[in-house]
Amino acid sequence: MKLLSLIVVCLTGGLLLYGTADLPDWGDPNAPASLHLSNYYIENAVRDTQVPNLVTAVLADYRSVDTMFETAVVFCAGLACFLLLRDFTPKKDHYYRHVPTGVILHVKNPDRQVIVGNEFEDIDKEWLPPDTIIKTVCRMLIPFIQIYALYVVAHGDFSPGGGFQGGVIFGSSLILLAISYNLKYLLKRVSEKFLGILSAAGVLVYMGIGVVAMVLGGNFLDYEKYAPIFGEHHIRALGMLGVEIGVGMAVTAVMVIIYINIVSEGKHDEGL
Amino acid sequence: MNLFVVICLCIGFLFLLGGTVGIIRMPDFYTRLHPAGKLDTLGLFAMVSGLAVYNLHHFSFGALLLSVKMMLIVFFVFHSIPTATHAIVDAGMRAGLSPLTRKKPSQLQGTGEK
Repeated sequence: MKLLSLIVVCLTGGLLLYGTADLPDWGDPNAPASLHLSNYYIENAVRDTQVPNLVTAVLADYRSVDTMFETAVVFCAGLACFLLLRDFTPKKDHYYRHVPTGVILHVKNPDRQVIVGNEFEDIDKEWLPPDTIIKTVCRMLIPFIQIYALYVVAHGDFSPGGGFQGGVIFGSSLILLAISYNLKYLLKRVSEKFLGILSAAGVLVYMGIGVVAMVLGGNFLDYEKYAPIFGEHHIRALGMLGVEIGVGMAVTAVMVIIYINIVSEGKHDEGL
Repeated sequence: MNLFVVICLCIGFLFLLGGTVGIIRMPDFYTRLHPAGKLDTLGLFAMVSGLAVYNLHHFSFGALLLSVKMMLIVFFVFHSIPTATHAIVDAGMRAGLSPLTRKKPSQLQGTGEK
């Protein structure tokens, strides 16, 4: 079976390499992309979309269907990670720490558990004393990181940024929370169910914007059909913002899903 | 004002150069983290504050906003680099990596705490 998969992987890689031989050279002035497409974007993008950032205009407007499926690919990556790694068997060994004395109890019987309260805390297998410096600094930095992530998402059509980047920054702020405290603390704040719903909702927001544009009488993802609702002014930039928010939601949730599934080997109990 | 900017940039350059040389030349893990954590922080502080002052050459609200943003970067780096260095040193001690001393290795039992 392993040999078969190795052959399949080598064949696919070989085919991809063979396919790249037909592509035009890097920076070739006679390539179709630099003869027609780039010139059109550079000359007309600002007039067509009223968005100063050409990259966002190309990604979220001219090629928004492509970006929509990229978001779907990100969602599928999170889903695959969940399906492959998630392990629902309850763990047998529990570790508790008696807070006043520091004694650590190791409970092997899953039916007999210690009540976690003021005296006992549920801890990981390898207990680390809480590090005040790291916790304090991370607690101070995380809100700023999250505000910056929202700024990157919202400012994607004026300056470098957008949904993917903002989503990654937001997801990394949550991962920083898991690193500086522990995985249980993150999961208490952001449950697995919420993350699953958020990642699906991100793709749904993107596709929903496209479908509503169709309902309003335009093409799929034709933002100009929203003009009767939101007004003519910068309507394409607004549509792109909506799409970027969807991308950001999906990417944030998928980043965190992949992180928690990998560090805890799918058990969602302990990890980095 | 230009003089101030040049002095700031030169100080920052010196500190960053010292940090780079230190990372390469220092003998072991903990001593290497020392220039990496300290000199880079101060070098960045001097350089970015010099640039922030230079940015105010043509004074306007936009330039002031940009300078404040640059100083915000310095503020966050000032907190995050020492914390990151602290975390790395902590992890090194926990993993049992003993610091370089003049003592023989047999006398170092117990310094790397578990």
